[in-house]
Amino acid sequence: MTAKIKVITQFIVVCLFTISCKHSDEHKYHTVIDKIEANTVEYKGEISSDIYNETIKKVEVIDSDFKFLIPERKSQIVSYKCSECHSQPLEKLKEHKVGEKAAHWNIKLNHAGPETMNCTTCHNKNDFDHLQSLTNSSIDFNFSYKLCSQCHQKEFKDWKGGAHGKQLGGWAPPRLSNTCVNCHNPHNPKFEKRWPVRFNTTVEKERE
Amino acid sequence: MSETNKKWYSLNLNRSKKSESCGCGSNSGGCNSDKPKDGFDQIMDISMSRRTAFTKITAGLLIGAGAVSSSCSIIGSDESKEKSAMEWEEYFKGNYKLMTDEEKDKSINRLVRSYELNHGKKINISSKNAEENVLFGYAFNISKCQGYMDCVNACVEENNQDRTSEMQYIRIHEMKDGKGFNFEEADDNYYHEVPADGHFYMGTQCFHCDNPPCVEVCPVQATWKEKDGIVVIDYDWCIGCRYCMAACPYDGRRFNWKTPEVPEEEVNKNQHYLGNRLRKKGVMEKCTFCIQRSREGKNPACVEACPTGSRTFGNLLDPNSTIRWILDNKKVFRLKEDLGTEPKFWYYMD
Repeated sequence: MTAKIKVITQFIVVCLFTISCKHSDEHKYHTVIDKIEANTVEYKGEISSDIYNETIKKVEVIDSDFKFLIPERKSQIVSYKCSECHSQPLEKLKEHKVGEKAAHWNIKLNHAGPETMNCTTCHNKNDFDHLQSLTNSSIDFNFSYKLCSQCHQKEFKDWKGGAHGKQLGGWAPPRLSNTCVNCHNPHNPKFEKRWPVRFNTTVEKERE
Repeated sequence: MSETNKKWYSLNLNRSKKSESCGCGSNSGGCNSDKPKDGFDQIMDISMSRRTAFTKITAGLLIGAGAVSSSCSIIGSDESKEKSAMEWEEYFKGNYKLMTDEEKDKSINRLVRSYELNHGKKINISSKNAEENVLFGYAFNISKCQGYMDCVNACVEENNQDRTSEMQYIRIHEMKDGKGFNFEEADDNYYHEVPADGHFYMGTQCFHCDNPPCVEVCPVQATWKEKDGIVVIDYDWCIGCRYCMAACPYDGRRFNWKTPEVPEEEVNKNQHYLGNRLRKKGVMEKCTFCIQRSREGKNPACVEACPTGSRTFGNLLDPNSTIRWILDNKKVFRLKEDLGTEPKFWYYMD
């Protein structure tokens, strides 16, 4: 008799456990990270950023696992190709004649120090239509990020991933991100101080 | 009419049976009951006690009387008749969460038409539903924000916020270096050259929690979490009790103390029912991740306006999205994580 009761009690306890531990709603997650991990799927939906970026000429960045678009640069540089003016060697151009218009007179290099950088750190004095790396290999103006990434490796890594810089158009694929020189002037890369565009006078009054 | 496919919400005071939020048992997204009823059928075709009946009749009396007097009047113009007919139907429409797509369209047509009658301009209101395999999230780089407030301006313009009361969804807090996130000492209404030396800047807005306390406390279920993670408000169902405002631990919600005024030429005519359509006095509103933009694939206005790239928006479920890279590779954190609200708004540093 007692054995019977014991078995029945055990049975009830087991039943209770199974009932109480069973999740009533299988779509409930403990954290949002669990939810994201459980539902991760490459987005192949209808929505695309293409229509918002139609007017921008693009080139593709392919670097290790990353593949995305950046705005094309050369067509945006007013006086490209540089060789249209730079037809003579730099030494010759330096002999400035009276009445001749001086070019680039307004460019002041404010990027690292003079010990680290001068014009020819990036510009190739023998081939004006291309940039050059620290080891004198040629870099296309469209892919100037390769130049920047020589020193700014941490920023480069973040930019490739999307933690640095800015995605254009929308969140939907295909990804089009600004390249370094779309936000930073390479000759003066730091963001300037300025006044905020807005001041909330109502809040100010309320808090007086 | 059974308890499960009704089209309104009632307070469950002292009633023994605790029903699920809606027929499908989901507390997010819409749900389509078998036999949808539109317009005043939702309200009229029910059995109720004498007392409730009288309450409802009294509530509807004013608008009813107005509608009857103008629609039966011989001198009333066609336009005013149409207007009052629309007001009548709008008054008795159901909760957006429970509307079928057809009902949504009908309501939107009425809203568009009534704006046209009142202002003589066409607007475009969308009722686009959440996309499959999309969960929206946001990341904010506190090392990059310079405090320019371009985001605030863009938000005000995009979302048709009231211009005179200067209510804003976004706050930018200027914090002293070395003091941590000290909101008590932070200044969210600075006006001097930025970035100020020895300070950093961080923005707050609605964090679209995955476990939103504001949704929990709403007595009329006028606010809920959509399938793509956006916490939205049905402005026509909100009763303005501000429980949600009190429940939000992040100061993410705003109340309309007056009818919002936007100069006609500045009205953003690209609208969403749950987003930036013109609100009325006495209802709640807040950031909706610019639902009218994000559901079309665009970034919210604040992300687009930011000149520093501090703001990243994207699909958390897509392993190739930039926001996922940030979550996987940067040292991210959220505000008041211990509350268990699970905000979908992460902060990180370079």
